[in-house]
Amino acid sequence: MIARQTRSEVTRRKIIDAAVELFNDVGYSNAGLGDIIERAGMTKGALYHHFNSKEALAVAIINEGSDILLKTFQGISRSSAPALESMIHGVFVAVNLGNTDKLVRMGAVLLRIFAKFSEASTVNYGVWLAEMGEQARRAQAEGDLRDDIDAQAAGEFIVSTVLGAELISNAVSGGEDLMERVTRTWEFLLPAVASEQSLPYLQEFLARESLRRRGQSMPT
Amino acid sequence: MTEPADRRADSARGPLVRAAAEQFARKPYSLVNLDDVVAAVDISRGAMYFHFPSKQALATAVIDEAHKLGHEAVAGVLANKLSGLETLIDLSYLVAVLDTGEDLARAGLYLLESIGRVEGLEARSLGEVIDALAQIARRAVDEGDIAEGRDPEDIARLLVSTYIGIRHTGDLDNPQQFLMHIEKAWTLLMPGFANPERMRYLSQFVRRRTAMASGKVLPQRGPA
Repeated sequence: MIARQTRSEVTRRKIIDAAVELFNDVGYSNAGLGDIIERAGMTKGALYHHFNSKEALAVAIINEGSDILLKTFQGISRSSAPALESMIHGVFVAVNLGNTDKLVRMGAVLLRIFAKFSEASTVNYGVWLAEMGEQARRAQAEGDLRDDIDAQAAGEFIVSTVLGAELISNAVSGGEDLMERVTRTWEFLLPAVASEQSLPYLQEFLARESLRRRGQSMPT
Repeated sequence: MTEPADRRADSARGPLVRAAAEQFARKPYSLVNLDDVVAAVDISRGAMYFHFPSKQALATAVIDEAHKLGHEAVAGVLANKLSGLETLIDLSYLVAVLDTGEDLARAGLYLLESIGRVEGLEARSLGEVIDALAQIARRAVDEGDIAEGRDPEDIARLLVSTYIGIRHTGDLDNPQQFLMHIEKAWTLLMPGFANPERMRYLSQFVRRRTAMASGKVLPQRGPA
């Protein structure tokens, strides 16, 4: 029984991996279930056992990609670092993951395609709004976030601007300038949300983060 | 059909190690009485000997468990992917928080010193730690936080020695004060190897870590 479940899980993995590759090569709308079956090297029955439609497959990719992202971000925000540092750092790590992990990237692409048509997007974006809101409240308690703003609103605003930066970056440069755009987003956000005494430190934290991401040595 | 008995025996192992950690965290090795350990778990001495034939076997198990705890915690800090020097600073606070707050961690470190001479266990463990920290310090050199020309291994050894020293001179039952000692050590040591232009940022980073760690540790704890 245990062995069979494992085999089933392996099959499911294979289908998802094949679908991610195919969607990546030809685009979601041009990919047929037949192509996925061929690429994964399995039977129609095996695929339908796991996914009854292409949309079901897309939702699975969205959920898994989003899950990886969220877990990575939470790993950082549950660390011993101050919350606002974790928010900055976590956004960069998540964005970088979206650039390097095929499943995460495809999940983000599909999430955008399905944005208005699927429950998956409502759920996934909702989770991020809650997570960022919580971190923002922590940052406020720690004195890094200004105490005269609504922490939940600040957290949600950060999610929107980062998503917007991702959207624009994909549109104008195929995602190549995303790190720069995210850096600039934070450069504008920080003076608006950070408390006066923490701002200079956080600006330096941001500068170090962004340069480290670009693989250059940090500013002196 | 011996399975139920075995399972019962298995279930006593964890509690025995925990009870032993509590003792070893508060008393020198030689003064720990196994009767106290057995009493805390509520099993017979014979049942304990089934798992741990000697005090040393029990102490070794505590060291092993503490080692596991340390590994997991360190992996968590490394997964944060901060810069090298920031990672070293975070690690020092992590160890301090565990050492002041978790019997297992504290007992493991004490025992490493008291029974670690056997088979070179202490030298080997510290050697591993120094190697691991030296790798992180090397990254900090590449990132420009540690001044060029500084030997990463020297820095790693200095950090480990400093921590062990603070552990001996400071009071683990007064976490807030212990964390201040850690902060002061960084403030004094960093100018010796950090890039001068980064000092302002790094000092703030250290102070912010003290504040975070202080919020996590319990206030002063009396002797058990």
